[in-house]
Amino acid sequence: MSEKIIKGHIGIGPTVEGIALAAADNFSTRYDLDRDRGIVSRPSHKLYGDNYVGRILVLNAAKGGVASAWMLREMVQKEKAPLGLLLNDANPVMAQGAAFAQLPLIDRFETDITAAIKSGDRIVVDPARGLVRILASA
Amino acid sequence: MKLNETEQAMLDGTHGKAAQWAIGYQWSVGTFFDAEDFVPVRMIHASTDRETMGDSGVAFLEELAALPSEERRPRAFATADFRGFDEETFRFLLPGRDLAGESAEAVVALGKLGVVTSHAYVNDHSVTAPGFGEACGYSGTPSVVYMNGIVGARCNFEAGPSSLAAFFTGRVPRYGFHLDEKRLATHAFKLDFEPETVVDWGIVGALIGRKLNSYWSVPALEVTGARPTILDLNHMALSMASYGSIAMFHVIGITPEAPNWATACGGKTPTPETISRTHLNEFYDEWGGTNEKLDVVALSTPQLDIPEIVQIAELLDGKKVHPDTTLLVYTPIEIKEACARIGLNQTIEKAGGRVVHGHDFFATFAKEIREAHGWERMMTHSVKMVNICEGYGYRPTPADIPRCIASALAGKVLP
Repeated sequence: MSEKIIKGHIGIGPTVEGIALAAADNFSTRYDLDRDRGIVSRPSHKLYGDNYVGRILVLNAAKGGVASAWMLREMVQKEKAPLGLLLNDANPVMAQGAAFAQLPLIDRFETDITAAIKSGDRIVVDPARGLVRILASA
Repeated sequence: MKLNETEQAMLDGTHGKAAQWAIGYQWSVGTFFDAEDFVPVRMIHASTDRETMGDSGVAFLEELAALPSEERRPRAFATADFRGFDEETFRFLLPGRDLAGESAEAVVALGKLGVVTSHAYVNDHSVTAPGFGEACGYSGTPSVVYMNGIVGARCNFEAGPSSLAAFFTGRVPRYGFHLDEKRLATHAFKLDFEPETVVDWGIVGALIGRKLNSYWSVPALEVTGARPTILDLNHMALSMASYGSIAMFHVIGITPEAPNWATACGGKTPTPETISRTHLNEFYDEWGGTNEKLDVVALSTPQLDIPEIVQIAELLDGKKVHPDTTLLVYTPIEIKEACARIGLNQTIEKAGGRVVHGHDFFATFAKEIREAHGWERMMTHSVKMVNICEGYGYRPTPADIPRCIASALAGKVLP
């Protein structure tokens, strides 16, 4: 398969390569995650029970309040963070959190990113250029 | 993103290390959102609760506080909702944890930086508010949506690190709700029923939040019946923010930037989507719990005001909370002390309830509290807390204060 490139807005953080964990659900670090165990803990979330640590989370929109700004950095320092975050729509808190944690984040893609990437895909996230490359599909 | 002479000097380090970090951090966020420049702010509110900050957040504050004073000069007035822990209650809620001790470093560091630790949660009740049209750098989600929607001040979510950055620079990136055009309604709704309680209003907020689900969406709502109170609007607003990351809203004829539909929508005349009582009832039915054993009633989020505590005391007077149920009533310490002066706390405590000050249930280790006590079923009048506590493993039932109290007395969820 040839590489597929998806364009988004210029993002935040360093370039990373890893495996995607994707769903069309929304995202909040406070509401949806067990940050001690590194799993999605909200029963109604499509990724419920999945381990997100070291994965590139691909979800729809940031939701909820201010907590994520502090929490993302704490998660990175405790090695309980995703490797990167791709959202259709980030909110200020998620951007502020990603910048504080230096966690790769891109949003505002030319297509629905949750439909374009599947769990298990190997991808490269390049925030400086606002690009995602799908290296291999699951 | 343009930097003026002062901002460039901050970035170059002329104004100290804290401002240098702060302006660079704000520039990266502003660039992410295509901000053209910065807007000056006078007032900051920093969200710095112990749970969300974590050890790394406390360490960050301590690093800033350890700088020589000339390296960390403030450029705005800042309050922080650092939740001073109610030590007595927390010895019961989370035995084995010295939360007051764990928080001490952050309290000291914030004080050294010159941040006022107000120990309140929704600061619109206890801290001087900005004026109509004024830009500000508020952190707490409920406060931001309150400032934008109800006061008409201008603010994005400026979460903990971001508001601290604004504290050192006296400005925030100009994007989102600092811009006239972003404040106009993008979606229109109307109610065909009159909400009767703050829970109903919270559910209206949840339904709109779920529907829009984007920070950049601005709902406008037409209501029917009596004029909603500030508390009604507050519950609706923080629920919108919780379920949908909403930070700005209008209520036609009620909120300051929406005297009519045309003004709220920038001259457009939208066709509102109707929210009906059926939608309301469907939301209640999602959570169920009727007749189940009730572990905890948490009345919180926002922390309660004096009239609500009067209501609770009246409902509990001369009665006893069921021994299998814990009743928690959260309020800022200033209100707790005012209530003690008129005997309300004593009535609630005599009935077996606990009046808890200085923090909020969901924001202070609610998951760990559930695990420590083996709790599952909870009741609350806060629809925002229903949302958060479900993620923490509770099975929440939203209900108004009278039903919550009656259920606490019965030890089970009453219909």
